[in-house]
Amino acid sequence: MHPRATGARNHTQCDSLLIGKECGAHTVPYIECRNPSAQIEHEATTSKIADDQLFYCLSRGIGQEEAVALIVNGFCREVLQQLPMEFAVEAQKLVGISLEGSVG
Amino acid sequence: MNMLEIENLHVVVQGQEILKGLSLVIRTGEVHAIMGPNGSGKSTLSYTLAGREGYEITEGRILYQGKNLAPLTPEERATRGMFLAFQYPVEIPGVTTMNFLKTALNAQRRARGEKELDAMSVLKSVREAASALNVPEEMLRRALNVGFSGGEKKRLEILQMTLFKPLLAILDETDSGLDIDALKLVAGGVNALRAPDRAMLVITHYQRLLDYIVPDRVHVLDKGRIVAEGGKELAHELEAKGYAGLARDAA
Repeated sequence: MHPRATGARNHTQCDSLLIGKECGAHTVPYIECRNPSAQIEHEATTSKIADDQLFYCLSRGIGQEEAVALIVNGFCREVLQQLPMEFAVEAQKLVGISLEGSVG
Repeated sequence: MNMLEIENLHVVVQGQEILKGLSLVIRTGEVHAIMGPNGSGKSTLSYTLAGREGYEITEGRILYQGKNLAPLTPEERATRGMFLAFQYPVEIPGVTTMNFLKTALNAQRRARGEKELDAMSVLKSVREAASALNVPEEMLRRALNVGFSGGEKKRLEILQMTLFKPLLAILDETDSGLDIDALKLVAGGVNALRAPDRAMLVITHYQRLLDYIVPDRVHVLDKGRIVAEGGKELAHELEAKGYAGLARDAA
């Protein structure tokens, strides 16, 4: 927050989705504030792909990899849909690529 | 021909034996009901049939369309015409109901070597099924099951069943949490799907649902085994005597 940003507001949100059994998430918020009138919020959540979500997709005929991609894309959707179109498309592809072969 | 043949099925979940020698035959075209008290193994049976991880068959076997079911993954079972309507349908945030339906439908078609449907054709079939079940368009645009009422979730399960046209449909307590109007609507959807080439297994606590979906056979499950079998009148007898009364008669 800039010293002259009087009455400024900030909301930082970090949502993590854990994929696989051997991972974790550490969320370290860092907000620098030089104006005492600013209001600053930080929120963090960590969730994982639930077994029942995955099984529900499988039971509908969706394969393991496609199911994980579907759930992850759903998770990212709120953020991705706020990006300009060209970034959103790219980001979605990146999610797809980084998931490839990650589920065994 | 037999759609489903279960012989002396023993299933262990987390080290505990839940099904203890269950046998059951469902012929193609028939509707069977399984009734039983809490903890009798009803849901274990439905999850075992759908192939959920952690439901281990330790003895006996399941034949689906004459073939051993055990080696098939859950998605292969779905592709080959098996459908489970969940007792507690699962929420998937950020994935619209319509997108989920399209993904599932096309995954099944792809696996069967059929041509995938474009968005317009999917929309058309979904709309047809949705209007019969009183599922509003707006629900299809919301994230799958997120914030849906109990009745909406159950109606969506039946909508999926209508859309996927399964050969064997397993309905796990589809009546739980439904008011009488929703129950009639859901039963109507199920009855519309009764067909000579399709079989259904209706799992329920109460006889009420079976007034609307009239089964060919009724099986009573208790402590992991079938303890009584009969025609549709067995459901009424059960309602009158209770599970305990029936168990006494059987003994």
